[in-house]
Amino acid sequence: MWTVLNIEIRKLNRSLALLLAVTAPCLIGIFGFFNITRFDQAGPWEQWLLTSVGVWAFFMLPMSVTALTALVGQMEHSPRSWDHLRALPVPRWRLYAAKAVCVLGLVVLMSALNLALTYGAVQLAAHVKPAIRPTGDPELLKTAWVLAKVLAAALLMIAIQFWAALRFASFVPALALGIGGTFFAVVATGAKQGVFFPWQMAVNVMGEGWRHDTALMLGAGLGVVALTAAIAHLAWREAR
Amino acid sequence: MAAIETQGLTRVFRGRRGERRLAVDAVSMTVPRGAVYGFLGRNGAGKTTTLRMLTGLIRPTQGTAGIDGVDVAADRIGAARRVGALLEAHGFYGHLTGRENLDLTRRLLALPPTEIDRVLEAVDMVEHAGRRVSDYSLGMRQRLGLGRAMLGAPPILILDEPTNGLDPGGIAHMRRFLKTLPDRTGATVLLSSHLLGEIEQTATHIGVIHDGRLVLEGELARLKAEQTPRVLARTDDPARAAAAVSAHGLAATLDGDRLVIQPGADQGADAVSAAANAILVAAGIAVFAIGAEARSLEGLYRRVTARDAAMTQEEAA
Repeated sequence: MWTVLNIEIRKLNRSLALLLAVTAPCLIGIFGFFNITRFDQAGPWEQWLLTSVGVWAFFMLPMSVTALTALVGQMEHSPRSWDHLRALPVPRWRLYAAKAVCVLGLVVLMSALNLALTYGAVQLAAHVKPAIRPTGDPELLKTAWVLAKVLAAALLMIAIQFWAALRFASFVPALALGIGGTFFAVVATGAKQGVFFPWQMAVNVMGEGWRHDTALMLGAGLGVVALTAAIAHLAWREAR
Repeated sequence: MAAIETQGLTRVFRGRRGERRLAVDAVSMTVPRGAVYGFLGRNGAGKTTTLRMLTGLIRPTQGTAGIDGVDVAADRIGAARRVGALLEAHGFYGHLTGRENLDLTRRLLALPPTEIDRVLEAVDMVEHAGRRVSDYSLGMRQRLGLGRAMLGAPPILILDEPTNGLDPGGIAHMRRFLKTLPDRTGATVLLSSHLLGEIEQTATHIGVIHDGRLVLEGELARLKAEQTPRVLARTDDPARAAAAVSAHGLAATLDGDRLVIQPGADQGADAVSAAANAILVAAGIAVFAIGAEARSLEGLYRRVTARDAAMTQEEAA
């Protein structure tokens, strides 16, 4: 399994998927910098860090996952390399499992970069405008824990996007699904039933009480099941 | 034991509306060890579908496919270990170099790094190996694809239209390369193509697939030798020539402005040529050229596919 995973990582070299994984968190960092410098008074660290996590969970994560899975899928679909890979003496489920692990790894990397770049943006803003130097401690571990829960709750959405991106040779179905899912998540933000919608689970986990628990349990639990089912289906089906 | 053997291999595709399309119909083929087997058929005849079943990419609806005695359906990985394949689509990562692309497959096959240099040299791609594949010409991709199929020196190579996109020099090089491969490495080559000339100059054995059915198979030299050549004639009045020759009991047809006479089982082509010439001259028809057709793969191919088409029509009627 390690060999197949190693190969997936090597394929990312100079790829658009890797570029996206770096660019998306950078955009949040840039947004964070300009957002903070709008203010004249200092706010707590937690406020800036959680704002960044909120933007990530609400919009940037589903959009990035849509684009990322499409790019990772097209890496094989576009040159039609599935035929070559699937004809090799390697269990097919490993090829898809390695892809899934690679996508999850990139989302973890994006989450970590998001935190690091937001921290850097706040520091830079405080350097440029000392009056807004944040109060209190950054509590990076606490924010990292929130990001981890966001990622866990987003697992079902990631699994669905992953399956769509690898199932269809065209990137259009996966893109339409991701854009549609994000659109409904945004326009129905306050909907009570939103917690059951895979594209809203990541943002719901930032709440408290049953919404937090439901989003985390459904997102992570069903996510694992969906990802396993997706890998099994992709490995079993004939790719024509 | 044959290198590749199929028994009643059949594949039916179902369309979106549930309609049934028989792509490969009970193909039983045998590729002897050490042969260059030319798998011949026009576009859409079922060549690629057969190769995809042999490489385990699609499952047969019926029948079995064996690679080196290993049943592909029962042990796909075991069969794949014995095969290097160059399939219709090259499947290279354009953002990586040729060497990096080969390295990915080498790692999956757990081969030593020296394998890359060996195959690059074999397909004459050493000097281009450091360039991104997106900058490669179609011919260079084809050569790299062949090199990738040769990684690990598999005993069987399955090559789908390997000369596609090659320039005349590249085609000649590929032809020489494939022709000498069994002697140099002991490998068996299954080579699909719709180009008769390519197969004729490369293959030791052929299999002809037509509308999904294997209509001819065997050693090429023997098949050509067994072929009874037709007599071809060019005259100033083809229609009258055909009528005159037919009136004397010879089986004559017209192929454009060419008169085609099929000798009977007990007739020699030279004797029929002489007889037909005498008939035509006696009838006052000017004969520009007359003689037995050369024993070629093209003639063989035309004959078996025409016969199969006629049989299919009869069955339908």
